[in-house]
Amino acid sequence: MELSLGLGLSKLGLEAENDYDVIIIGGGPAGASAAIYTARSELKTLVIDKGLTAGALGITAKISNYPGVPGPISGAELVEIMRQQAESFGAMFITDKVVGVDIHSTPKMVMAGTGTFTAKAIILATGSMGRTSVVPGEEVLLGRGVSYCATCDGAFFRDQTVAVIGNNDEALEEALFLTKYAAKIYLVVPTPELKARDFLVHEVTTHEKIEVLLGTRLKEIVGTELVEGVRVQPRGGAEALLPVSGAFVYLQGGKPITDYLMEQLQTTPEGCLVVDSEMQTAVPGVFAVGDLLCTHIKQAVIAAADGVIAAIAADKFIHGRKKLQTDWR
Amino acid sequence: MALLREDDRQHLINEFSVLTNPVKLVVFTQKLECQYCAETRMIAEEVAALSDKISLQVYDFEAHAEIAEQYGIDKIPATVIMRGGNDPKDYGIRLFGIPSGYEFSTLIEDIMMVSRGDSGLSAETKAWVAALKKPVHMQVFITPTCPYCPRAVILAHQLAMESDLIRSDMVEAIEFPHLANKYHVHGVPRTVINERVHIEGAAPERMLLGKLKEAVA
Repeated sequence: MELSLGLGLSKLGLEAENDYDVIIIGGGPAGASAAIYTARSELKTLVIDKGLTAGALGITAKISNYPGVPGPISGAELVEIMRQQAESFGAMFITDKVVGVDIHSTPKMVMAGTGTFTAKAIILATGSMGRTSVVPGEEVLLGRGVSYCATCDGAFFRDQTVAVIGNNDEALEEALFLTKYAAKIYLVVPTPELKARDFLVHEVTTHEKIEVLLGTRLKEIVGTELVEGVRVQPRGGAEALLPVSGAFVYLQGGKPITDYLMEQLQTTPEGCLVVDSEMQTAVPGVFAVGDLLCTHIKQAVIAAADGVIAAIAADKFIHGRKKLQTDWR
Repeated sequence: MALLREDDRQHLINEFSVLTNPVKLVVFTQKLECQYCAETRMIAEEVAALSDKISLQVYDFEAHAEIAEQYGIDKIPATVIMRGGNDPKDYGIRLFGIPSGYEFSTLIEDIMMVSRGDSGLSAETKAWVAALKKPVHMQVFITPTCPYCPRAVILAHQLAMESDLIRSDMVEAIEFPHLANKYHVHGVPRTVINERVHIEGAAPERMLLGKLKEAVA
C-alpha cells in the first residue's frame, strides 16, 4: 500500500505568504491583466490558476488580432507573456485548484488544494469552460466509479481498467497519475487531436498502460450499482461499450465556472455573474471579469480590459479611495 | 528524522502564536500491526512540541482498552482533538488514520478551532444544531491525496464542536479498506451520516445541513 507521507505543507513553503492584498482566481487574459495592474500598484498579488491550457485562450492555436502582438501566436504563448509581465511587477502565480472561497469573511478566504489564502479583495477570472450537461448515468454513478478527481480516487482502482474522458492538461495529467494504480486506461478524446502541452502528449501517447481513442465521444456511463462500462462513439463509427470500472470525466463546455463560489453570489439564468461598471459584484471587494460575464464579446482583449478595470477598482477598494486612480508612479 | 521541515515548523510556530485555550491531542497507537501508528504519533509529537498550548497524551490501544472505549476508539491510529487544560472537553472530533497529505491541514485547523472555542458555523446551522435531540455520527471518508477532502472533514468537525450529540470522524479510506467496502466508498470525500444517509463531495454548509435533517428525521 502506498500512502503519501507528504504533510501537505507546500503552502507553508511560501513562508507565511498566505496573506495577500489581492487574490485573482484564474490566470487567463483577464486574470493575468488584472495581476499586471494590481502588482504594479504595489498590491501584494497572488494568481491561482489550474494551468496554462486550462482556459479558452490557452487552448487557442493561433491569435493574430491581439492589439500590439502581430502574431500569429498561440494562446498559451500569449498568456505566458502576460504572466511574465505580471511577475515582473511582483505578482506571484501558483498552479492549483480553488476548491472554495469565503467572500463574506474579513479578510476574504480562498481555499485551494495546497492551502488557504487570504486577501482584502478577490478578482474572479475563471472563464466559461464549464460543462453544460452531463451524460446519462453520470450523476447516478457519481462516487460509484464516476469521479472528477483521479488524485483523490485513483487508489480505489488498483489493477482495474478505467476511462479518462477529456482533452486538456488536466485530463492527461490525471490519466498519467492513474497509471500508478490502474492496469489499463482508455483516454477518450472527443476531438481528432490532443490539445495539451507537448510533454504531456508525448508521455500519454507513449505510455504502455494508456490507449488513446481520438475523435471519440462519451455517450453514456453504464452500470447498476457500480460503473461497469462507458458507451462511446468514434466519429463516423458505431457505438461501442468499453468495459471499465472507473470513469474520470474532465470534459469542458461553455458555461461560466462558478461552482467554487458555492452559491455565495447570484448568477443569471445562463450561469453568469453580474457586476457593476467597476466589475464589482454585489459583495464589496469581490470582482468578476472576462468570460464569467455574459455581457461581453468573448475576446481575449476584452477580457484583458475587464481585468484592468477590476484591478484599478480593487486598488480603490483596498485604499478606500473615492475615485479610480491609474497613475501610481 | 523529523517529519516536519524546518521552515514549516517556523510557520506553524507563528500560526500557533494566536492559540488561546489549551488543546489536547489524544493519540491511540500500537507498536505492532498498525502500519501508520508510528508516523501518526510522530506527527502529533512534533506538532505538540510547537506550542505550550498543545499537550499530547499517547495511549496503547490494547493496553489501555478501557480508555479507548471511553473515547469510542475502535480502530487505530486514532487522534482525538479536544480542549485541554483544567477544563477539558471532548467535542467528538476524531481522525482515524494518519493525518498526512492534505489532511495535515485538517489537524492544524482542528487545533486552531478547538483553541478558539468557536466553530465558525453560520447562525442558522448553530440554531439547528442547538435544537438537535438525536445523536449524529458522521464518518467522512478521505484519501491523503484529495484536495477537496479537508473541507468536508473540517465542516463535520465544526458540527461536532457545536453539539455533544454529534461525533465526526475522518476515516482514511486506504488504511481501513473494510470500512471503505462496507460503506461503498469508491470516491472521496464521502460522508456517511448515521449509517444511512450519504453525501458525495465537499458539500457546502447549507447542503450538508439538509442531509443532516434527513438523517435525523
